[in-house]
Amino acid sequence: MSRFFVLSLNGLTQGAIYAAMALALVMIWRATQVINFAQGAMAMFTTYLALFAIDHGVPYWLAFLVALSSGLILGAIVERVIVRPVESAPPLNVVILTLGLLLFLEALAPMLFGGQIRSFPPAFSIVGLHFGNSQVAFSPFDAFTLGSVLAVMVLLLVLFQKTDLGLRMRAAAFNPDVSRLLGIRVGRMLTLGWSLASLVGALAGVLIAPSLLLYPTFMDQVLVFGFTGAVLGGLDSAVGAVVGGLLMGFALSYVGGYLGSDLETVGALVILIAVLMVRPRGLFSRHRLRQA
Amino acid sequence: MLEVVDLTVAYGPVVALHGVSLTVQDASITAVLGANGAGKTTLVRTISGLVRPRAGSVRLDGRELIRLPPEEIARLGIAHVPQGQGVLAELTVDENLRLGGLWRRDRKAQRGALDETYELFPPLAGRRHLTAFSLSGGERQMLSVGRALVARPRLLLLDEPSLGLARRALVQIMGRIKALVTERGLTVLLIEQNAKSALSVADDAIVLHLGNVVAHGPAQKLADEEGLRHAYLGF
Ligand SMILES: Nc1ncnc2c1ncn2[C@@H]1O[C@H](COP(=O)(O)OP(=O)(O)OP(=O)(O)O)[C@@H](O)[C@H]1O
Ligand SMILES: [Mg+2]
Repeated sequence: MSRFFVLSLNGLTQGAIYAAMALALVMIWRATQVINFAQGAMAMFTTYLALFAIDHGVPYWLAFLVALSSGLILGAIVERVIVRPVESAPPLNVVILTLGLLLFLEALAPMLFGGQIRSFPPAFSIVGLHFGNSQVAFSPFDAFTLGSVLAVMVLLLVLFQKTDLGLRMRAAAFNPDVSRLLGIRVGRMLTLGWSLASLVGALAGVLIAPSLLLYPTFMDQVLVFGFTGAVLGGLDSAVGAVVGGLLMGFALSYVGGYLGSDLETVGALVILIAVLMVRPRGLFSRHRLRQA
Repeated sequence: MLEVVDLTVAYGPVVALHGVSLTVQDASITAVLGANGAGKTTLVRTISGLVRPRAGSVRLDGRELIRLPPEEIARLGIAHVPQGQGVLAELTVDENLRLGGLWRRDRKAQRGALDETYELFPPLAGRRHLTAFSLSGGERQMLSVGRALVARPRLLLLDEPSLGLARRALVQIMGRIKALVTERGLTVLLIEQNAKSALSVADDAIVLHLGNVVAHGPAQKLADEEGLRHAYLGF
């Protein structure tokens, strides 16, 4: 199989995970105009909780649910306890608080779970599939990764576009004051938004942990890649986040494969700077022709 | 019945309302008149909970509204059409309208109210699935008023609904609102720049001047007072 093809497959799977991370960031950006720099650390924490469950004999799928549901809860707690009290303060205050949360969680994790590097089990085999006599660089776990990210995205799409709850959430994000006048309990919508974003982040955590190994800062680079994908997509567009995340997956896979894996982070930085210089509003941001 | 008693509202050092009192009878239209900066918008924003007063009370059928958040006040059946800027430009016309009645959770009634609104405002019907972003100023105003009607409110706060509306559309809206007042007992607080046209549809009126009520009474009586007209109403 050609090297390019192998790298592309790898890029697709990694990209799905970056897309999830990017989507989580965009959901929070749209709801509260804040970049949640603790998104990665929160996902690290929920992944540790899943590993903790596995260590105590809980079957993998239950631990998987532990990660997702603790993501939901953690998101709600963060919104209520950290974001809500500074709601009316300038956004920078909230951003600084999310950085504080990042440091806090990365300090707390080794105390609770131990500081050593751990391996995290995949849901399925990570050995490439066989087609006839040939083996491709695409494993059942890769398929699961793609499938579960896709499933979550479709579910979110249906929630936001097809349900009354989703309509309320979008309204609350666009204009809290007008939404309140329409009887929408904006506070609850924001909490739910953080919860769902954190769930998506938690999914990214358990999906990438098997290939990265688990340690307190293991999600930092995923956050950077996801953030770059989100900026590439325009920061306020969910579709943009997904496309941006996938593009990051491909780009970094080629950089890693052809230039050396230690250049991946530099590659992300180059992409970020290039986007900000050439097209700062990203690929998909809605361009406002008229003022509202 | 809506009762506002001794309402004082300040934005920092700027006092916008100085102990304003008024009563709005059920199934009637009360006009709130006054020059720019008189405090009209402040009054309705305080009633709907967007602004916290320094002192005073707002009661709907005896129930105190001060300290309730705006979303809970809206859920008591108070719909507020804010001055300009009321539509959610990123959402479609249909989504905007649906949002008006979502808190009622009565899907059938909601569907009916939506159809009624499209009938009342044909320009909106043709743009159902476009974002409100693409609407003209007058169409946005129709959407804003229409959305408030979808909520089937008992109290409707209209802050300059005529803004950007052609005369014909305005007459249509006011006709519909009048009908709701007589048929369904809707109560309306109507803010208008054009005192003459407001007094012609209203039952009662109050005149605000620099945050004070300088006149109140039946609309017809106020319209007949020449001194008042010259001093505050400009016609
Ligand atoms: N958010 C605010 N911050 C500070 N001052 C404000 C604010 N909103 C209104 N004011 C002041 O309060 C006073 C009353 O304003 P308000 O908007 O209630 O007037 P209005 O009667 O609605 O005027 P208009 O006819 O122009 O809409 C004005 O002096 C205005 O400058
Ligand atoms: Mg005003």
